[in-house]
Amino acid sequence: MTTMAGATAAPLHRMLRSELRWAFRRPRTIVALALLSALPVAIGVGVVLAGGPQGEHGESLIAQVAGNGLVLPIAALSAAIFLLLPLVVSMSAADALAGESVHGTLRGLLLAPVGRIRLVVVKSFGVLAVTTAAVLLIAAVGVVTGLVVVGDGGDGVLTLSGTSLPVLPALWRVALAALWTIVQLSAIGAVALAVSSVTEHPLVVLAVTVGGLIFTGVLTAIPAMDWLEPVLLPTGWSAIADVLRDPVPWDQLLSSSYRAGCYLLIGWSLTLARMVTRDA
Amino acid sequence: MTSLTTEAGAAGAEAPAAPARALAAQTRGLRKVFGRTVAVDSVDLDVPAGAVVGVLGPNGSGKTTVIRMLLGLCRPTAGSVSLLGASMPDGAGSVLPHVGALVEGPGFHPFLSGRENLLRCAAFEPLLPSSRIVSTVDDALDRVGLADAARRAYRGYSLGMKQRLGLAAALLVPRRLVVLDEPTNGLDPAGTREVRRIVGELHAAGSTVLVSSHLLAEVEATCTHVAVLQAGVVVAQGELAGLLAGDQPVLEVATPSVDLALATLRAAGVPARACRGGVEAELLGTPPAAVVEALVLAGVPVSEARRRRAGLEELFAALTEEGGA
Repeated sequence: MTTMAGATAAPLHRMLRSELRWAFRRPRTIVALALLSALPVAIGVGVVLAGGPQGEHGESLIAQVAGNGLVLPIAALSAAIFLLLPLVVSMSAADALAGESVHGTLRGLLLAPVGRIRLVVVKSFGVLAVTTAAVLLIAAVGVVTGLVVVGDGGDGVLTLSGTSLPVLPALWRVALAALWTIVQLSAIGAVALAVSSVTEHPLVVLAVTVGGLIFTGVLTAIPAMDWLEPVLLPTGWSAIADVLRDPVPWDQLLSSSYRAGCYLLIGWSLTLARMVTRDA
Repeated sequence: MTSLTTEAGAAGAEAPAAPARALAAQTRGLRKVFGRTVAVDSVDLDVPAGAVVGVLGPNGSGKTTVIRMLLGLCRPTAGSVSLLGASMPDGAGSVLPHVGALVEGPGFHPFLSGRENLLRCAAFEPLLPSSRIVSTVDDALDRVGLADAARRAYRGYSLGMKQRLGLAAALLVPRRLVVLDEPTNGLDPAGTREVRRIVGELHAAGSTVLVSSHLLAEVEATCTHVAVLQAGVVVAQGELAGLLAGDQPVLEVATPSVDLALATLRAAGVPARACRGGVEAELLGTPPAAVVEALVLAGVPVSEARRRRAGLEELFAALTEEGGA
């Protein structure tokens, strides 16, 4: 018997590239991204049609968009993070493991072989890529729509604190909001991936993740459940408006990112633990 | 049952091949329990290197479960698996690059074309250099006759075309062991012949092949070794020739003088009984020629003498029906 010759794993970059192509060739990913990019356009057009600033707009981000174009991407992100973006992220996580399993292709990957830990790395990368693409798309379309349809009001962006920011620093604020959103969604992606690793029904992943979000939403609305709030992911989601204050108050942004980090770690560990022993 | 297995093993040992041939795969005391169902129990399977081993068994007999454990796709409840010298499932990383497999039907993504699906498989194939991926995929599609349909979406493929694509994926790179679970499922007669040809080529090239099938003729035509599974247990295994010959050493003699023939054989010490159109002599150590000679010398008109060689089908039926009772 000759000795085992040759590599025992394909180059990682080749696997990652293949995963990207697979994720972005999928018709439902393309449709979902297209629909997401319509959101900032819809908000922008809606605000313009409503006819500029109106009476008491208080601190509502959408109200702030009027005459203040660069607020649009942030308003769009803050609107999408509660349901639309989690939906897209969990859809991608559902396809990543449960979807592969139901098509019998997970077996093929394990037989190639892709090591089980490496497989989780490749799959997490794919979900993160779709997440990042979705967020950046909303942000980019938001910036363009904001500048073209709404306009920047002449003297940059009016912050929630009443000061005004020139365009370039305002773009950095948009980037900060996008980064923060990606971190929050990664936490959801990790949890969805963990669910995806225990089932072979992609729909279950979607139901559990989105259902869980709605459930936590209900919990936060019940005063007697206040004590739970520090551990619920959406608790910190109002922090995205903080990027529009001057100076930026970091405590909420950081604490919500820290919370997301915990979810990310737990979700990813569960995925790993499950995939190492999963029968395929 | 036990006697048959022993006999087959003895016949296998007498074969001209090296007495202790290296094993490409081996299981010992393999057991898998799903919930309260025992899917596979105490399976000791030997897959000699270079052999074409057919795993036979009725539906639900545990063929696929054994194959999945062999490939490290699922962990045995008890027992051990050795594949190309590595213990599975822990050694999967080092040996699976040398193993091609088509398990539980072809698995591909419906929204990608056959070619794109295969490109994706190729990207994860450790032994394939990146520069050769495209040419390898096109060659593989050619070999299984899918070149014309390569750019059509997989969801539009017929069952046979899906099966061919599965074969192409299993044979992307030269393999030391190829495991094909029901490879002829859904294939037309031409496709079935094609699979037989591919198995023959793999065998000639020195690869070990493990084929599970319910098509007995298929196994009989292509395999050198057979293992028969029944209700999760191996009821017989060994070289195909040995198993078939070891089954019923009987000489059927067609003659009108049945009584004279029986008397002659009894006198010669050969157990015999009357059957339709003649007698059946049991060849326990007696060469067929000696039986015929004795009969002819005693004046029995022998119109035909034929050694009864059970087909795989009879053997299979005997094994699985008895085991199931």
